[in-house]
Amino acid sequence: MIASQRLKTNRFFNFIKIIILIIILFFSIFPVFYMVTTSFKTPIQTYNPAIWFFKPTLENYQNLITKFHVIPYIINSIIITSFSVVLALVLGSLAAYSLANFDFRWKDEIAGWMLSLRYLPPMAAVIPLFLLSQLTHLYDKHLLLILAYQSFNIPFATWMLRGFFEEIPKELEEAAMVDGASRWQSLLHILLPLSRPGMFATTALLVIQTWNEFTLAFFLTSNSARTIPTITSQFQTVRGILWGEMTALGVVTILPVIIFAILARKYLVRGLTFGAIK
Amino acid sequence: MIFLYFISMTNYDLGTPLSSAKFIGFDNFIRLFSGKDREFWPSIRVTTLLSITATLFELILGFIIALFLNSIEKFKGSIISIIMLPMVITPVIVGLLWKLMLNNDHGIINWIIMQLGLNPPAWLSSQYSLLSVLIVEIWQWTPFVTLILLSGLTALPIEPLEASSIDGATYLDTLIYIIIPIMRPIILLAVLFRLIDVIKIFDIVFVLTGGGPGSATETLSIHAYRLGFYQTGWIGRASATGVILAIIATVASFYMIKFLQENRRSM
Repeated sequence: MIASQRLKTNRFFNFIKIIILIIILFFSIFPVFYMVTTSFKTPIQTYNPAIWFFKPTLENYQNLITKFHVIPYIINSIIITSFSVVLALVLGSLAAYSLANFDFRWKDEIAGWMLSLRYLPPMAAVIPLFLLSQLTHLYDKHLLLILAYQSFNIPFATWMLRGFFEEIPKELEEAAMVDGASRWQSLLHILLPLSRPGMFATTALLVIQTWNEFTLAFFLTSNSARTIPTITSQFQTVRGILWGEMTALGVVTILPVIIFAILARKYLVRGLTFGAIK
Repeated sequence: MIFLYFISMTNYDLGTPLSSAKFIGFDNFIRLFSGKDREFWPSIRVTTLLSITATLFELILGFIIALFLNSIEKFKGSIISIIMLPMVITPVIVGLLWKLMLNNDHGIINWIIMQLGLNPPAWLSSQYSLLSVLIVEIWQWTPFVTLILLSGLTALPIEPLEASSIDGATYLDTLIYIIIPIMRPIILLAVLFRLIDVIKIFDIVFVLTGGGPGSATETLSIHAYRLGFYQTGWIGRASATGVILAIIATVASFYMIKFLQENRRSM
């Protein structure tokens, strides 16, 4: 009797739980879902929010390519993201290696100072960078953004990789050195292969944050090095906002990020908190 | 190795406001603080208001959702993948997406409100625009707080929880007297992360409202942008605002980093 009653209340609680869960999931996913559906609507349909069933059209995506020529911007984004991520990984892993393996003065201070650069508001960084880019004639060049992004990518890579490197037992490296391996060899053949999951997670998170960056890209480029997140202003015309094309662009922009996020899911929190929480 | 490490540091030295120091005199700062620049203090107010309310709501909501998710056994991985969706999406796209949904005439949100027979507000008007920014910020970043707190909850030691349930404590008692005190460092960490991020908020506001209407949603970052890049081009005055922004963010991040390093050492 009591057991069956308990079963009933348990079922009731489970039911409530499922309802709450559906509400939470709905709130997380609905705006994105709505954007995706809008991107398949014709211009007139975009002005009616209540249309749920319609014949999907690829018109907006075609317009993106033929009218708005977005392909070069996508290529820009890919070039800038890949180069700055690779550079940050190389320099970051070297810095992380020295922080994890050597003892030197002000080690924590240096590490902390590096991390504080990551927290510099982009709007504060953009003004000096803008002026410097004018002086060095780097304005609107891919190289400028690749270098500028190092200001937050290197600290990020360093902190992430430092945590991963420290997890690898020191004995392994010491054993390799006893066998005659140099620091370089032990880094290349022992540490990096062993921290492959960490490397992978760091890469995915770097790709996400670089791809999403807006402020620096917006103010430091004008045309030839623009990235996709910055071209959204093109869709605000005199006749109103071109919602169809804009949402199509949104879908194109977030697609790679979502893929990388799912791949790096397990490390997302760790990445966003600089390894403070594992 | 150390040499290379130093090269890597000079590399991002480009990003510090030090290089702008030669372009500004104290006049710009005096101008800001004395109130001659009429939008400066309001923008401080907007930034403060936004960062405190956003962090507070994200913390409360995030904590509730984290407690809830912690009680679920099945499909946790896929649920988390869906929940984290908002925070990985490009912030500018998030801004646009909500601009579409909050639109007065053909936005889905006002459509729903009208279906319920209520009077839909003009979300992006001066009266509601700050609330709109707040909603978007909360939508995008509550998952982050949730995930941080969830990782804290899963790492909770079992013994005190068991002991309290044997002693006949209610769930609320356990929560207030055991879970929250143990979780305090993690909660603090989440708060610091969010505070620092909201202080420098730019892209969402820029796309959603552009700081307007008027200066209703003008945060410090938007203020710097308006001074420096929008019509006027007063780079000097904009940099002064930028420096103040950087100082606030640096002080906040200094505390956070100290905290992070203590955490590292204790682990």
